Amino acid sequence: MDRPAEQGSILTRIEDYFAGRFVAMASPCTVLIDGDDGEEAAALVEIAACEALRIEHKFSRYRSDNIVHEINHAAGRPVTVDDETAHLLDYANTCWEISEGLFDITSGVLRRIWKFDGGHKVPGKQAVEECLRHVGWSRVTWQDKTLTLPAGMEIDLGGIGKEYAVDRAAALLAARTKSSCVVNFGGDIYAGGLRRNGRTWSVGIDDPGRTGKAALYRLDIARAGLATSGDARRFVRWRGKRLGHILNPKTGWPVLGAPSSVTVVANTCLEAGTLSTLASLQGPEARTFLEQQNVQFWIV
Amino acid sequence: MQLEGGTGSSLRERLNKAALALLLVPAAAAAADLPATQIDTTTLYYGEQDRVQVVEPVVRATRLFGDGQILSVQLAVDLITGASPSGALPTGVPQTITSPSGKVSSTPAGAIPTTKFQDHRGGLDADWQTPIGKYFNSTLGMHASREKDYQSLGVTAKVSAEMFQRSLTVTAGGGYNWDSVFPVGGTPIGLSDGTEVTNGKNSKKVESFLFGVSRVMSRRWLLGLDASRTLERGYLTEPYKVISLVSFRSDSPIGQLTDNRPASRARSSLLASSVYHLDQDILYSSYRYYKDSWGIRSNTVDASYRHDLDDGWYLEPHARYYHQTAADFFTFGIVAGLAPPEYATSDYRLGQLTTMTLGLTFAFHVEDSPALWTVRADYIRQAGSGTAPENLGSASTFDLNPAINTISLVVGYSFNM
Repeated sequence: MDRPAEQGSILTRIEDYFAGRFVAMASPCTVLIDGDDGEEAAALVEIAACEALRIEHKFSRYRSDNIVHEINHAAGRPVTVDDETAHLLDYANTCWEISEGLFDITSGVLRRIWKFDGGHKVPGKQAVEECLRHVGWSRVTWQDKTLTLPAGMEIDLGGIGKEYAVDRAAALLAARTKSSCVVNFGGDIYAGGLRRNGRTWSVGIDDPGRTGKAALYRLDIARAGLATSGDARRFVRWRGKRLGHILNPKTGWPVLGAPSSVTVVANTCLEAGTLSTLASLQGPEARTFLEQQNVQFWIV
Repeated sequence: MQLEGGTGSSLRERLNKAALALLLVPAAAAAADLPATQIDTTTLYYGEQDRVQVVEPVVRATRLFGDGQILSVQLAVDLITGASPSGALPTGVPQTITSPSGKVSSTPAGAIPTTKFQDHRGGLDADWQTPIGKYFNSTLGMHASREKDYQSLGVTAKVSAEMFQRSLTVTAGGGYNWDSVFPVGGTPIGLSDGTEVTNGKNSKKVESFLFGVSRVMSRRWLLGLDASRTLERGYLTEPYKVISLVSFRSDSPIGQLTDNRPASRARSSLLASSVYHLDQDILYSSYRYYKDSWGIRSNTVDASYRHDLDDGWYLEPHARYYHQTAADFFTFGIVAGLAPPEYATSDYRLGQLTTMTLGLTFAFHVEDSPALWTVRADYIRQAGSGTAPENLGSASTFDLNPAINTISLVVGYSFNM
């Protein structure tokens, strides 16, 4: 745990709290600490950065030295995983069950044929069918901490990894300090309680059309997780429509009519992230879906 | 972190439960998967009252790999100075001892004669633990050490298997050591006056076997039982130890003979240990029974209690009682003129011996640093027993086994890289 953030972190004092910034998981990350002790704040930012890098290192599918690489290159052989990976796979399995197969960590191979770069290129029917043969959590065997993936299939924990990292980092901070903290990894957020002045934390949500330029909403949260699904910059044009990057693992096509952005507030960041993804997968039914879940949400 | 809270739908109910299962895994356990190198450094200071002083710095590096392999390498250096009882008896007049190398030392009247020495030892140990499948673990180890007159090379191998949902662990292993002893000034012939020596190395081979079972009795209680057997063959004598030669006609010893021990020794021991987790503290206790083919039997009772303080600090008091019987061939002196025994030693470590140890370990962090400091202090009181038989002359009027008080101090510093 004594590893510095690879790209370093920057700590600044803003009004009566500290803000630490670093880059992890290909995202800008921020940790806010409601306190006056600069040394403590720096140590807390370091803890959050180390945890983000640890989880990125362990679960990124872009690395060749981790468990995800081992699973994706097992060529049909069973792979026994450590406890933490097993818990994540159990969670992914539950998400797959409750979404009736729409949330599927094996659907990442579809990205080989879909390029969401704002262009017009849409894969042919044959390419989609070929690709779908390597998609489907129902084809894997997952029991006793051992995962057997048919050759050619892959898993991608990117859909839950960042939210998981937020909750993990928040738990580490809560164990180290009594100060209220906000952990924000690329827009996936956990706020750890009311501030000293009795106020909530205020979180800005970007206008999907003008990302990074203006906050569309300001949300006040005290102790909650918040996550947004949807990225307005990642789409492909098809017959005059913009298709977002959320793929339906059953059809091999982007979900039609999905909102460009879904933000959910729940008890944990993980839960918020999963609910926002599940909502996006419902397409035009996203709002109805979220209304049934009894959560705070914003749809754009 | 707030994980409970209203859900309102069965889907959210399940999601909430799943998130809880994932996030409530202790963060520390998850963090342990990180490949990391832990460095432990300790410095031991051991001082026997008026006798041996040892300073032993040790550096140990342990690297954990993501796939469960553990590599650990340890380097230790011992610096030993002081004096150790030669085995000779005290007398009413000052004694002068000339060592084979020509050094002369003298002992005041009534004091236990000792031999002064100075030595340093360097040792390297490496262990490589690797999981085999889901339920097996193997550990391979090697050991090498060298001092002025002793060299030791060894290998060990161990396999452990976990069964019944990991509630039972069975371990079996063995080791082999090739040691050689090459005393300064040559090897004296056993039970001689020490003037005749042979040159060259004396070999000593050690085979060891162990078998252990540890069982999780409850969520709080772990019990272990370990049996070990060791066979030593070769040169097992202490070349610098002597035995006083006494005579009915003289009050004082008339000379001394060199130590001589059998060329084989079979040792067996049985260790029962328990670890009990209280709400916050941990109680460790163990009992060991030992016997060997030289006639030594020993009992050891050991207990320590770890009391956790805030911020990872802890206090651990420790107590140990050890008692051993004397080896069959232990004697305080040999009577001149009678048929000499085949084997004999006056080495107090093979005599009847009782040792009490009281110690305290304190572990703490210095502010803002996750590195752990430990300070351990032990007070050891060691006492032999038994008086020399009447025929040993004036020696029988002296305390041949004065209690020895020892203080040992260990300072440790551990950190991750």
